[in-house]
Amino acid sequence: MKPLHTPPAATPPKTCADARRRYGRRDFLKSAVQAAALCGAAAVTGCDPGQIQSGQIGLQWQEYFKKNYRLMTPLEKEATVRRLEQLAKLQRGIDIQIGTTEPVKEVLFGYAFNLTRCEGFMECVQACVRENNLDRASKTQYIRIFEMEPGQMSPESGNGQYFHEVPVDNHFYMGIQCFHCQNAPCVKACPTKATWMEPDGIVVVDYDWCIGCRYCMAACPYWGRRFNFNEPHVPEEEITRKQHYLGNRLRTRGMMEKCTFCIQRSRDGKLPACVAACPTGARIFGNLLDPDSEIRFVLKHKKVFRLKEDLGTDPKFWFFID
Amino acid sequence: MKKQPSSLRLYIALTLLLIVLPGSAIKVYCGQQGVQAIITQAGRSVSAAPAADAAGGLPANLVQVHATHNGQPFWTETRKDKVRRFKCSQCHDNSTVTAENAAAVAHGDMVLEHGGAQKPLTCFTCHKEDQRDFFETQKGVVIDMDHVDELCGQCHFRQKRDWIGGAHGKRVGNWAGRRVVANCTACHDPHSPLFKKRWPATYALPLDKP
Ligand code: HEC
Ligand code: HEC
Ligand code: HEC
Ligand code: HEC
Repeated sequence: MKPLHTPPAATPPKTCADARRRYGRRDFLKSAVQAAALCGAAAVTGCDPGQIQSGQIGLQWQEYFKKNYRLMTPLEKEATVRRLEQLAKLQRGIDIQIGTTEPVKEVLFGYAFNLTRCEGFMECVQACVRENNLDRASKTQYIRIFEMEPGQMSPESGNGQYFHEVPVDNHFYMGIQCFHCQNAPCVKACPTKATWMEPDGIVVVDYDWCIGCRYCMAACPYWGRRFNFNEPHVPEEEITRKQHYLGNRLRTRGMMEKCTFCIQRSRDGKLPACVAACPTGARIFGNLLDPDSEIRFVLKHKKVFRLKEDLGTDPKFWFFID
Repeated sequence: MKKQPSSLRLYIALTLLLIVLPGSAIKVYCGQQGVQAIITQAGRSVSAAPAADAAGGLPANLVQVHATHNGQPFWTETRKDKVRRFKCSQCHDNSTVTAENAAAVAHGDMVLEHGGAQKPLTCFTCHKEDQRDFFETQKGVVIDMDHVDELCGQCHFRQKRDWIGGAHGKRVGNWAGRRVVANCTACHDPHSPLFKKRWPATYALPLDKP
């Protein structure tokens, strides 16, 4: 097992970025004083002026001491995204926009998946990876598509790694991702309250409060969460620039992440990337509180079911056959 | 032993009540938390995300569908601008073919894989013979190319109903604001409507189960 606390390295960290990389927030929580001292010392000695551009350390310093997103005032939210944008400019030389769009009133997001329509083309998976800046190195994917035989009802028995021409006769395809449970076990498992359900029903992660303990991953009965064991890598030209603090902004090593119903899109009224990309119309997304929405039509007129309903997790993700 | 003392009966009745009442109260309380209950309680909601339309993301050329869902109008993308050979009347007007690239766009090789063996369709089941720019239903109703759903819907009424409600086909652009859906022929080739087999866009790595 990987030790939670990395002992201080022989050579002192040169910069705050260095310190951060070495210790991460999880160690920071364990030895806050030590990390602060290191960072402070680095700030005082001025680090390496040639390598580090002015301001970067200050920004990182402030980022270190920010609150949990849920406790921030609008001004503090504004301040942190401006810092993150500046840091992206300084560290990667790219311009990004991080939004903090709040949930829309009287909206509760829901999702339905048509098992009869899905043909396993996996265009949703590809769109998701691009939209959400997922790690290309470890091939992180939020969505899994399983090739199933008639009668199978749990993805555990399906083939999640098919790669041949689809659809195969007499098979059906089942897609799973984070189901955004109304009674989410991952939320209860988190020791630092870094994951919670927003009023519009989206279960989100505050990446900067995540200590990487992976309790949520173990608690999720649907394999909905993904962990960054290594520093994620996204080619610069493929980075989606329009981001959300709780959504597709760039993660670093040791952070938990998962589907957010494309919070950066859905809160602006757009469809999540997977829904937009689906060529067969198997994915249906909308407002559960709107009686005229597509999702409500499906719930009313189709035979819907949810995975592992007996667990009482109350997912907002329905499967149906028409 | 002929008759139970009334106090005992009262006692039993009260105990039962004590068990049943909190039980049902808890059930009601828990039910309110559940998604199903939230949905059933939801009334007519205010139009959400009004900014959605302003934010854009909708396709350019839209026509309003003649059908409505729950009395609400909805729109679909136009087809005429996507049909490569439109206008058909540039050739099919009983005179000589005048189109510049006639050879490239003529279609004597067109195959029809639609309708099965018992009920084979012909070109003029759908296309209007004397007015090729339009369709004609079997009852003789003339249909504009942009309203192809009315052509397909005469035979595939179940899919048409689901399409109106939103369970067949797909919405394009936004989930909020103006509802725009893809029309039948955006997905189905009318002459060979089944989806063709192809390779998936990507592949998956093994899932690390916790
Ligand atoms: C470039 C000229 C051209 C255009 C544009 C064109 N067609 Fe044709 N079409 C032809 C020719 C030439 C034939 C005869 C082919 C044959 O018989 O082998 C034909 C044949 C047909 C037929 C077969 C029945 C018949 O009359 O022989 C149908 C149906 C038809 N066209 C429909 C259409 C429709 C619908 C459009 C518009 C979307 C269209 N065509 C546009 C040139 C054209
Ligand atoms: C099931 C109804 C149906 C039948 C049968 C049918 N068509 Fe069509 N056809 C359509 C529709 C609908 C379109 C418009 C497609 C679109 O919206 O993209 C179309 C489009 C066309 C086009 C223009 C295609 C393009 O992309 O330029 C031609 C040419 C055509 N049909 C010829 C024929 C011929 C020839 C036959 C007989 C062999 C035939 N059609 C039979 C429904 C039909
Ligand atoms: C005149 C009636 C008629 C019209 C109009 C019509 N179809 Fe069909 N369609 C059929 C019949 C019949 C079948 C075969 C049904 C079966 O095999 O059970 C069929 C089958 C299909 C299938 C299933 C394909 C398969 O091989 O199982 C699709 C998809 C389809 N139609 C789409 C369309 C679309 C899209 C349109 C409009 C452009 C359309 N149809 C217009 C009669 C029609
Ligand atoms: C978003 C794409 C999409 C649109 C739009 C769409 N369909 Fe389909 N349709 C599908 C898919 C996927 C299937 C699955 C069948 C297959 O394997 O080809 C299907 C199947 C069908 C079938 C075969 C029977 C069945 O239910 O499986 C019919 C008939 C049909 N569609 C008619 C229509 C009609 C009519 C419209 C327009 C009112 C329409 N479709 C619009 C994607 C679409």
